[in-house]
Amino acid sequence: MNDAAARLRLRCGMPLADARAMYPSLPVFDADIEADRRLLETIADWCDRYTPLIGRDPPDGLVLDITGCAHLFGGEARLARDLVGRLSRGGFHARIAVADTVGCAWGVARYGEQKIVPRGETEAAVLPLPIAALRIEAGIAADLKTAGLVRVADLAARPRAPFAARFGESLLHRLDQALGRVDEPITPCLPVPSATAEQRFAEPVGREADVLGTVEQLAQRLAEILERRGEGGRLFQVALFRTDGAVHRLEIGTGAPLRDASRVRKLFEERLAALGDACDPGFGYDMVRLAALVTERCDPVQTGLAGSDHAEDLAHLIDRLGARFGLRHIVRLAPQETHVPENAVAVVPAHAAPSLSPRVDKDAENLEQDSLSATRPLRLFEPPEPVEATAEVPDGPPVQFSWRRMKHRIVQAEGPERIAMEWWRDDRGHALTRDYFRVESSDGMRAWLYREGLYGREIEPPALPRWFLHGLFA
Amino acid sequence: MGTAASAATLRHLREALAGIDPSMGPRLPDGERQVSLGAPIDAALGGGLACGMLHEFAPIAPMHLAAASGFALALAACAARVGGEVLWIATGFARSEGGGPYGPGLDQFGLAPARLLILRVSRAADVLWAMEEGLRCRALAGVVAELTGDGEAAGLTATRRLTLAAREGAGLGLLVRHRILAAPCAAATRWAVAAAPSRPDAYGGLGRANFDLSLRKNRRGPSGRWFIEWDHHACAFQPTVSVAVAAAAFDRPDRTPMAGTG
Repeated sequence: MNDAAARLRLRCGMPLADARAMYPSLPVFDADIEADRRLLETIADWCDRYTPLIGRDPPDGLVLDITGCAHLFGGEARLARDLVGRLSRGGFHARIAVADTVGCAWGVARYGEQKIVPRGETEAAVLPLPIAALRIEAGIAADLKTAGLVRVADLAARPRAPFAARFGESLLHRLDQALGRVDEPITPCLPVPSATAEQRFAEPVGREADVLGTVEQLAQRLAEILERRGEGGRLFQVALFRTDGAVHRLEIGTGAPLRDASRVRKLFEERLAALGDACDPGFGYDMVRLAALVTERCDPVQTGLAGSDHAEDLAHLIDRLGARFGLRHIVRLAPQETHVPENAVAVVPAHAAPSLSPRVDKDAENLEQDSLSATRPLRLFEPPEPVEATAEVPDGPPVQFSWRRMKHRIVQAEGPERIAMEWWRDDRGHALTRDYFRVESSDGMRAWLYREGLYGREIEPPALPRWFLHGLFA
Repeated sequence: MGTAASAATLRHLREALAGIDPSMGPRLPDGERQVSLGAPIDAALGGGLACGMLHEFAPIAPMHLAAASGFALALAACAARVGGEVLWIATGFARSEGGGPYGPGLDQFGLAPARLLILRVSRAADVLWAMEEGLRCRALAGVVAELTGDGEAAGLTATRRLTLAAREGAGLGLLVRHRILAAPCAAATRWAVAAAPSRPDAYGGLGRANFDLSLRKNRRGPSGRWFIEWDHHACAFQPTVSVAVAAAAFDRPDRTPMAGTG
């Protein structure tokens, strides 16, 4: 229901037929609850400019914890005026109340006249309010009204036990919350950062260079805070508040705790470049905030005189590539304790495994010593590519194979290296044993072929085992 | 925090130390670092494959892609032996087309997985961008980038940029193409690579990885064609003995044992 409808003396909860009887040409739309919820969320995001602690109060409210924030705006009254003013410029009609408790603010905003309830005057503000201001179910409110209890004061003055017996604990709990006898935590809809720095502009900025310059300045301020704590940031977030109310949030993760402002700037530069048009400045941003969401202890490292000082360069490169392509796309190969070729290596993000210790495997080393060529291929196909191979006898080495429509004559084959699958991981018991051959074709191409299934034991004789190309040697 | 100033001080101190005791000092001045490919090729290249430059490799036929990338990786492994890591950049398409790098195989080939970083990107333009970033980083001994498509993404301008980046970072820039490209390229050397039949070991097993290298462009000297093999134990290239490339020997059912094998 909008203001115009209110002027026509229509009410919420009125049957549609009654309204149509009064105004036959009344336009009516279905309520879009989902859109309302989204709008409320957007406004909650936008309110982040006042305080990091914002709770949603569906369907139509927001709760802001402005403890310690109000002085930044010149006091509670000014903050409230600023907030309502900005919202009304955005076309919203908002009611606001500032109070010591969430319950009191809720009631005063909806049923009271006052905007600011001074400290310690909660009781005086709540008691004259109608009973519905206690955030209770409509049914209970109606019952209380029939009992002659119209104002909160009527309820507060009476003994508690009969009410608890008749309406349940929740009624009295709400009363206590409103009067500040019980603590009421706000569930924030965004994680509360460990440290933040922000910059407001009188004139909105839109150029990327200006935004990044601001980010660097903020990072410098953040670095001071973090340095005092002996910490560095692992996850940074820039929130860009657009003049029209939209908020863009960009996040970057780092491999090691980071404080250096120019590096933070560089990482966000990559992030912005990767996003491209998704981050449209529109008419500009009027506020930029940099937050360190996750911080970690960061002790200064002693540089060795003889060693290299490139380790930091590498960490920075990983961060930059990660900011552009996503940290999970820059990886290292970690050896695994298994003999199944495709599982013998795990792909781990590089920032999670900064350095892997080289594997010490005596058996493998001895095996290598015997062989002039590598026993494992350089490049592995995942999944293995099926090939058509011919062997002189079904369980002998292949003599030729065709792969990707090319026929290769094998001049040399080494094998088989028999690799059985891990029965303890094989649920259905269908995994076939593989016979691996290292082969060299007449062109010099070296491939790693395998035959799936043991002829005569796992494969019944009329059927022939299938062949796969699993990898290529240099 | 004065990190730049302290880094400069450290550099001066290291140089002073190197003057007193050469073993304590930093490695060779970056401009002079070269990777040796064996005497005949080194002579043509003016001392070896120069670091701080861009080099291009392409297989003469699609089936030799593993040889081309193997040759580039062997060079990167050589460059990484004095310190630094290797970055391999490839698209998902390149991985499905030519196979992904395999840790145990790389380990045996001479490049420990602990020294290898792998970046997976989705577009060819990203490969080039990441390669430029990687080449600028002084912590990397080499950057291997794999390009599947035609030269659109890595023309003269792009390769020129990469060359400048390589000069800045002093690492080895290795561009592996999936096919030979006639279009001009600013790389210092361009190689056409094929796998050559290997010399079998003493027991008749597969021999060392052999490469048939054609140097098609060389800024510093003549081009040419050589056969070399990669000794992954010593982590060095050796010229193949000329008799070993006689193809006729491979058609015999029983091989003639050769001197110096095994």
